[in-house]
Amino acid sequence: MKTSWPDILFFAIVCGIALGAALRVVLSKNAVHSALMLALTLFSVAVIFIAQSAPFLAAVQMIVYAGAVVVLFLFVIMLLGVDKNEDLRETLRGQRPAALGLALLFAVGTVGVIRLYGSGAPQAEAIALGADNVQLIADALFTTYLYAFEITAAPLLVAAIAAVVLAKRERPAKSLSESREDGSA
Amino acid sequence: MTGPHDGWWVLGSALKVVILFAATLILVMALVYIERKVVAFMQVRIGPNQAGPKGILQTLADGIKLFFKEPVTPRAVDRPIYILAPLLSLIPMFLVVAIIPFGNSITINGREIFLQGTDLNIGILFFLAMSSIGVYGITLAGWASGSKYPLIGGIRASAQMISYETCMGLALIPAVMTTGTLSMRGMVEAQSGTWLGFVPRWTGLVQVIPMLAFFICAIAETNRPPFDLVEAETELVGGFHTEYSGIRFAIFYLAEFANMFTISAIAVTVFLGGWNGPGFSFLPWLWPLLWFFAKTGVLVFIFMWIRASLPRFRYDQLMSLGWKRLIPVLLVWLLLSSGIQAWINEASNHVAGG
Amino acid sequence: MTIADYLPILMMLVVGALFGGVSMFVSKFLAPRRPTRTKLEPYECGIVADKEPPERFPVRFYMVAMLFILFDIEIVFMYPWAVAYGRLGVFGFVEMAVFLLILLGAYAYIWREGVLDWAPRRALLVGSRSASEPDAAHEAEKAA
Repeated sequence: MKTSWPDILFFAIVCGIALGAALRVVLSKNAVHSALMLALTLFSVAVIFIAQSAPFLAAVQMIVYAGAVVVLFLFVIMLLGVDKNEDLRETLRGQRPAALGLALLFAVGTVGVIRLYGSGAPQAEAIALGADNVQLIADALFTTYLYAFEITAAPLLVAAIAAVVLAKRERPAKSLSESREDGSA
Repeated sequence: MTGPHDGWWVLGSALKVVILFAATLILVMALVYIERKVVAFMQVRIGPNQAGPKGILQTLADGIKLFFKEPVTPRAVDRPIYILAPLLSLIPMFLVVAIIPFGNSITINGREIFLQGTDLNIGILFFLAMSSIGVYGITLAGWASGSKYPLIGGIRASAQMISYETCMGLALIPAVMTTGTLSMRGMVEAQSGTWLGFVPRWTGLVQVIPMLAFFICAIAETNRPPFDLVEAETELVGGFHTEYSGIRFAIFYLAEFANMFTISAIAVTVFLGGWNGPGFSFLPWLWPLLWFFAKTGVLVFIFMWIRASLPRFRYDQLMSLGWKRLIPVLLVWLLLSSGIQAWINEASNHVAGG
Repeated sequence: MTIADYLPILMMLVVGALFGGVSMFVSKFLAPRRPTRTKLEPYECGIVADKEPPERFPVRFYMVAMLFILFDIEIVFMYPWAVAYGRLGVFGFVEMAVFLLILLGAYAYIWREGVLDWAPRRALLVGSRSASEPDAAHEAEKAA
């Protein structure tokens, strides 16, 4: 596939929005604004997925990330009290150097991946031929990567249990354990 | 897509979008009037009867009035989000309108033009994505108001909506299984024809439970009675839009009715055969359109009927209906129906093979 | 299927945003603006609000959002499966049955832990088992 000028322009605009929103996520002093900007970032990434002929991935990005994860963030922010004057002191020690180090690692990793695979990007012929994206994913997921798919259920199970356990430890005396007693009484 | 993506296609699409938008807007205004009238008759009242003949211009009058009303912006609001929130709840509903197949196609100048904004191959997932974006509008409206009732209403609403989105996602899977596609037009085409010559091949006639579950979810997702805890006056004043007035309130109101229409249209497309129905050779494009609106109209009427008949649920009843009834029923149904289908397929393969 | 198919969506986005934006903008000129101090107070049924709303919410809301993510991920996995179901046959059924059984395990655990219970103290109404059934009380009343 050749890359044409409109494609590049489109990509640049969407990337600009994604990066700008991502910066706002970090720089905004209001947690809810940050969450909203995160949603915008994820949305822009979904648009890039569409441009890359991966509409299913775009839908997943919208439904799971923008639709569920950010909503969870919003809930947590509200759960902890919607204080408009956030405490901006950093509680994690060594947060900044650690962030810098991780950013460096990420940059090296990204460049490495591009060096390794960038030249001959894996462009599936089938996609170029306009085959149904979802069908292709289904074929791959439920035959070749079947074990990976089934094993996915395990982390999800663990996550469910972890969420319950964490929430219970937060409030040992009330709600959850109480309703449990009700159930067994 | 038939035809090339040339300048005419872009122009045609733009025209389609503008027509769809305007038509939906007018339809929604009509729906507001019809609902008031229907509920009034069910309660042995007359309903709006002053503005225009039979009060038909009432919604328009209300809309114009709201333009001239002061949009009070309380001191504690978070201004950018406060203003963004109504738009966030309105726009996703209109984006869904763009993927609904209203009718089959018209041929103009040798070009086949589908009566659908655009047909995405992830159609139904796009609808789910948009309804999850719709949650933002209400959550953020509640938060940005900087006031107690909206905050409680907003967070209740979003918990309700995400719970029922889960059910909705589960209810749509059996339909996808039956039709074998995610595209909206593909779904409608898969439902054309009849069984035994007279029973229409609607998905909803096979997947009865998912259809009913979807409809319940649709009511909860649009925050309409009996699931309108979001704006339970007796406990929460106006819920998430307590602090909204003037045109901003009007946009929320519009969004609610637009939501009711789009979700009925999706239900018709997925479960009730979409625009399929007996047609005639005279004006062949008109009949599908009529069928589509007739079916959608019936669903919208049921929405109104339910509103006039049922008392509001309690919050715990609402949550346990979603999480403890619908989800297990749908999961079991999914297993059962996929098992039966696999068994039928296997049996027919054996017959064909032997 | 190309990005061009999404152009109408983008157009609808623009039209919708224009409609909302323009009506708010126009209303700005048409509507009066007479703010008074009381009018701008957060609504509190006529009482002067004595504290800001940074109130905390029950942890259940967080649990619901968490469960929503988990279920959403599982549901999203089921869509490609449903599309390909006709071709996967019995094999596909077994695959999804295993996946769903694990999901049902998580679901049963969550139910047992009482995460899905929203009504407080239902045990007082009916007693034993029906702690999880709000309408059981109604039925008991009806029967009596």
